[in-house]
Amino acid sequence: MNTTLSKKRKIALSENDLILALRRKEKIGAEALYDMYSSSLYGIIYRVVQQEEIAEDLLQETFVKIWNSFNYFDSEKGRLFTWMVNIARNLSIDKIRSKDFRNNSKNQDIENTVNFIDEQRNTIINPDTLGVRDLVDKLKPDQKSILDLIYFRGYTHVEAAEELGIPLGTVKTRLRMGIITLRKYFN
Amino acid sequence: MEEVKSYIESGFLELYVIGDLNPSEKREVEEMAAQYPAIKTEFVEIQQALETYANTYAISPAEHLRERIINNLLTSVEDNNKEEETKIVALPSSNTSSFYKYAFAACLTLLVMSVAALFVLYTRLQDSNNQLASLQISNQSFSSRVNYMDKQLNESQQALSVLRNPEVKLIKLEATKAAPAGASMMIAFNPVKKQVMIDLSALEMPANDEQHQYQLWALVDGKPVDLGVFDKTKDKEGMKIMKAIGEVQAFAVTLEPRGGSINPTMDQLMVIGSI
Repeated sequence: MNTTLSKKRKIALSENDLILALRRKEKIGAEALYDMYSSSLYGIIYRVVQQEEIAEDLLQETFVKIWNSFNYFDSEKGRLFTWMVNIARNLSIDKIRSKDFRNNSKNQDIENTVNFIDEQRNTIINPDTLGVRDLVDKLKPDQKSILDLIYFRGYTHVEAAEELGIPLGTVKTRLRMGIITLRKYFN
Repeated sequence: MEEVKSYIESGFLELYVIGDLNPSEKREVEEMAAQYPAIKTEFVEIQQALETYANTYAISPAEHLRERIINNLLTSVEDNNKEEETKIVALPSSNTSSFYKYAFAACLTLLVMSVAALFVLYTRLQDSNNQLASLQISNQSFSSRVNYMDKQLNESQQALSVLRNPEVKLIKLEATKAAPAGASMMIAFNPVKKQVMIDLSALEMPANDEQHQYQLWALVDGKPVDLGVFDKTKDKEGMKIMKAIGEVQAFAVTLEPRGGSINPTMDQLMVIGSI
């Protein structure tokens, strides 16, 4: 353990220790939860809502929900990170579908915005995904757009088919092919 | 193994990870993953792939958020829940409250308009009532005037009919020494119908006081017969009918105590006239 107590000290636990600490609602659990996952979750939220202030509120909401409903997490049924990502995604998608959000924000093109974000912000260098950015770009554009619509915008398959003007079956095929491509590069 | 392969290729595992399955479909995926290690492995790998994909977009949130969010988690779980609840409740309630605001304003406007209208109507009602009252008063004065004139007309007609009757004799009673000079009165006498009347329009007598009254006497064969009492009134119209008598030589009037006397007080003999 690091003996110099700096403000920037990040706490990391093994996944099992983290789950245990979260179940017991220990302080170290809250800190480790934030340090280990805030960047990933914030990135997802930001990609969905595309507004900094709203994204920060949603990040807090996401952590509160993870913290308070941690009893519902079952490691037998799925991975911790997938569970947390779905909470962040659902809260963000609910937000962009809410009336006041739609009234307050222009519909921006998702790709342009994401590129803009990447240019403006210091995207953290995640050792696990180092070099992966290039691979993401190797996704076929049609696979990537479906993945983004469904994963980040919360579109149903029917909505995605209407948006892209393609048959429902094609949406399902492309989505699956996109995930297979990702696995080929990532795993 | 065919079943496992076709299940993997069905795309359900991807949909599960993306969160696009209904609860019964989710349960099925979980059961299949628990039953077949190959499906479980596939399932985990899909999750890892999408996690990595999501991670490529990781952005560090602002520094100040760390303390705020961690404190938020540690301090009050209860408060957070409440905050969530009030947020959910706040939206519709703000809508309804603005509706009630407008409704209240509308009610208030209606109330003000109603009060104004009521005031105008009340003022007009007052005016009408005043007009009605003054009309009633003038109507009353007209009707009393009509009554008065009607009465005068009746009396005049009565007097006229008496005077026109050829059976009636008019006797003028002249002043005696006891009466003031110029005192006189007229008696209309109908011997056939035995009627005796005083013509009030020709009654020229001094006014009597409260204790005294004039008394009319008929002299029959030298004896006085009481024909009733009368007052000198302001009433100047009509005929006053006295007690009946058929045979008379003369009429006389004395001033007697109020109510009259059995015998005339001769030194108070005011007027006298013979037929």
